[in-house]
Amino acid sequence: MFHRSIRTALALVMALTLTWSLAQTITIAQGTDAVSLDPHDVTDSPSATVVSHMYETLFDLTPEGDIVPYLATGADLSSDGLTWTVTLREDVVFHDGTPMTAEVVKGSMDRFLDPDNAFTFRFLLSRVTSIDVVDDYTLTFTLSDQFAPFLAHLTHNTTAIVLPAAVEEFGEAFNENPVGTGPFSFVSWDRGSRIDLERFDGYWGEQPGISDLVFLAVPENTTRMALVESGEADVAVRVPPQDIARLNANPNITVENVSSLRTIYIYFNHTMEPFTDRRVRQAVNYAVNKDEIAEFIFGGAVRPSDAAIAPGIFGYTSVGPYEYDPERARALLAEAGFPDGFSTTLYSPSGRYLQDIQTTEAIQSQLAEVGINAEIETLEWSSYLDFTNRPPADNTVPMAMLGWGTVTGDADYGLYALFHTDQHVPAGSNRSFYSNALVDQLLDDARSTADDSLREQLYADVLQLLHTDAAWLFLHSETQLVAVRDGIEGLVIHPTERVLALTASKN
Amino acid sequence: MFQYALRRVLISIPTVFGVILIVFLMVRLAPGDPAMRLAGEFAPPETIERIRERFGLNRPMHEQFGIFVVNLAQGDLGRSTRTNRPVMQDLRQFFPNTIELALGAITVSLLIGIPAGIVAAMRQNTWADLVIMMGSLIGVSMPVFWFGLLAILYFSVQLGWFPVAGRGTFSHLVLPAVTLGVSSMAIVARMTRSSMLEVLSQDYIRTARAKGLMDKSVVLKHAFRNALVPVVTIIGLQFGQLMAGAVLTERVFTWPGIGRLLVDSIDARDYPVVQGAVLLIAVSFIVINIVVDVVYAVIDPRIRYD
Repeated sequence: MFHRSIRTALALVMALTLTWSLAQTITIAQGTDAVSLDPHDVTDSPSATVVSHMYETLFDLTPEGDIVPYLATGADLSSDGLTWTVTLREDVVFHDGTPMTAEVVKGSMDRFLDPDNAFTFRFLLSRVTSIDVVDDYTLTFTLSDQFAPFLAHLTHNTTAIVLPAAVEEFGEAFNENPVGTGPFSFVSWDRGSRIDLERFDGYWGEQPGISDLVFLAVPENTTRMALVESGEADVAVRVPPQDIARLNANPNITVENVSSLRTIYIYFNHTMEPFTDRRVRQAVNYAVNKDEIAEFIFGGAVRPSDAAIAPGIFGYTSVGPYEYDPERARALLAEAGFPDGFSTTLYSPSGRYLQDIQTTEAIQSQLAEVGINAEIETLEWSSYLDFTNRPPADNTVPMAMLGWGTVTGDADYGLYALFHTDQHVPAGSNRSFYSNALVDQLLDDARSTADDSLREQLYADVLQLLHTDAAWLFLHSETQLVAVRDGIEGLVIHPTERVLALTASKN
Repeated sequence: MFQYALRRVLISIPTVFGVILIVFLMVRLAPGDPAMRLAGEFAPPETIERIRERFGLNRPMHEQFGIFVVNLAQGDLGRSTRTNRPVMQDLRQFFPNTIELALGAITVSLLIGIPAGIVAAMRQNTWADLVIMMGSLIGVSMPVFWFGLLAILYFSVQLGWFPVAGRGTFSHLVLPAVTLGVSSMAIVARMTRSSMLEVLSQDYIRTARAKGLMDKSVVLKHAFRNALVPVVTIIGLQFGQLMAGAVLTERVFTWPGIGRLLVDSIDARDYPVVQGAVLLIAVSFIVINIVVDVVYAVIDPRIRYD
C-alpha cells in the first residue's frame, strides 16, 4: 500500500516533469510583423523567418553555405545539362495529413511559376520550361538553357512546397492559413502583434525540442530589447549597435553576432559625369575610411568589404579592400581633371539598413576632406526605389546607397543582376548602369557551366574586374545582431537573415 | 435639441466628402510606387506591371476615384495591397484597440487631472498648487516617446510590474494608457483649476457659503458642476486627439491599434488601407465633436442653439 502510493507519487512527478519539459515555448521578437505567410509570396525577412518553420524547400542551404537535400533526396543533371531529375523523400506529410508526392510538388512549382500569380521571386526558376512527374517520388525539371545555380535557387524559401489542395481550398485567404510540411504547424495570427505555431507531431525529421513557437512584431528597438531584458521574449533580432554593451552586461543575455549574406554599398551612376571616369570612382573608394565606419558607427558589428559579395557565398574571393588613402584620392582626382574636387549628390535611405544615414553622413565628411562636396538626399523608401529605378535619360541619381542579400548563397545571384549589361534598370536590377563586356562574358560563362571549380575561377575574375573598375564604393557586409536569453540551445541565426528555431530547445 | 443634433450631422456630410477627396489625392500625389514597394527592390518590371494591374493602379486617376467612391458607398474599402486582406477587416480589428487605449488614457487623465485641478484651485497660491501646476506643465511638455520608453525600462524591466508590450490583460493597458494620458491629464488639471477659480469667485458660491454650507459641499455640489462645462469640451477634444495621437504610444508599446496600422500602411504605400484608416479617424473626430456639442447643451441648459 505504502509502496504503491510512493510509486504513484513518483509516476505523477515524472509525468509532470515530462509534460513541463515538453511544454516549452520560445518567443522571438522581430522588428515587423510578417506580411504574408504564403511562402511563394514572401519578400521580407520577418515573413521568411516565420514561413521557414512551417514550409520546406526541396534543397536547403546550410549556414555554412552547402547545398543539401531537404524534401528531396537528390538530383541528377542530364548530359546535355538541361534536365534535372529530382527524387523526393517518401515519408513527408503535410500538416493536414496529406502525403507529399511528386504530383503535389509539381502542383506547387506550377503555382510558383504561373506568370498570372506575379510572384516576385518567380525569376529564380523562370528558366524551367516544364516539370514532369516520373513516378510518385520522382520528377524532372527541364530548363531552357544551362543554368548552374539551379539547385541553389531551389534552396530559396520562396520555392517551398505548398499543398495545391490547400491553395484551392482557402483561395485569397491561403496566406493566413498555412499548411506545410515543416516541424511547426500554424495556430493563429493576430495581425500586427503575434503569430503562434505549435510542434507538428507528424514531422518527418527531428522533432523540435519545444512545443510552441511565438513570433512578436515589435518595431520599436528599445521596446524589443526590453522584452528580452524582462524575459517576455527569448530572442530579439536587430539589436541596435549602441545597445550591445548594455545587453551583454546582463548575465542572462548574449548578443550573437553572425555575418549576413547582405552587402551594403554605394553605387555610382556610370553614365553620369564625373563617375564615367574610373579614376574618380577609385578616388572615392580611397577617400572613405571603411574601418573607421565599421568601428565607430557599428561598434565593430560589420565587416568591411573586400569584394562585391560577402564571404560564405559560393564564388567569393577576397580581392582586397581599397585602403584608406586620402593622398592617393586627391592625386587621382587631380589626374582626372578635378584638382579642386567637385560637387555631387549622395542619395541615402534612412532607417532601411542598419545605421544607413549615419554611414552616409560619415562618408560625406570624409569625402569633403579630399574636396568632394556631396550633398545628402534622403527619400522615403518607396520614392527612393522609384528614383533609383529610372532609365539613364530620366535618372538623376549620381550616387546612392543600397544593399543586396545574396540569399541563394551563389555568386550568380549576387553579381549577374547587379553588374550584367542586360540588367540595367528598369529591365533588371543594375541601377549603376555598370557595363563591361568582359564581365558580361564571364558571368554568362559561369552560369552555363556545371564545373564548380571553373565557376569559382570565373567569379574570382569578375570580382577582380569589379574591384579594378571601382564599380561601387564598396562598404561592408552586414552582421546580424541577435539578443538571446540564456537557456536557449540550438537556435540557428542563418546568413540569409532568418532566425531558425527548428531544432532549438529551452532549459 | 434633436433638431440641432440632426443639423450638425447633416452639416458634417460635406466635410466627410472633402476628407474622402483629400485622402484619395494625398496618397496618390505622394511620390513612391506601391507596386514597386510591394514587389521589393529588385523585382523584374513585368512583375511590377502585373501587380499594378491586379490592384487597378494602372487605370487613370479619375477612374480609380470613381471605383473607390462607388465601392465605399457599398461599405467596401477594397483590399490591402500589402496583405491582400479586406480593409474593413483590418479596421474592425485595429480600431477597437485604439478606442480601448484612448478610453484608458482618458480615464487616467480624468481620475488624476480633475481632483488635482480642484485641489490646486482650492489651495490657490500654496505649495500644493505650485506642485500640481509644475507637474502639469511637465506633463504637457514631455515627449510621449521618451516617457513611454522610460516607463518600460523602469516599471517593466527593472521592477517587473507590468508587461513590456503587447495587448491582452488589464496590466498590458496600464503603461500605455498612462503614457498616452499624461498630457491630457495635465490639460484637464489646468482647465479644471482655472474653471474652478472662476466659479468659486461667483456670487452664488458666496451665497452658498453664507448659508453656512460645508466647504466640501460647496465645492463639490455647487462649484464643481458649473465648472464642468469647459472641462467637458476639453475632454471631448482630447479624446479625438488621443485617438489620432495614439500613433507614437502604439509604436512604443507595440499596441495593435489604428495608428500603427496607418503608419505601416503609409510606409508600404498601401493606398486602400491609408484611405480607410484616415477616413475612419476623420469620421470619429467629427462624431466626437457632435457628441461634445450635444453633451454641452445637456450639462448647461442655458446654452441654446438656434
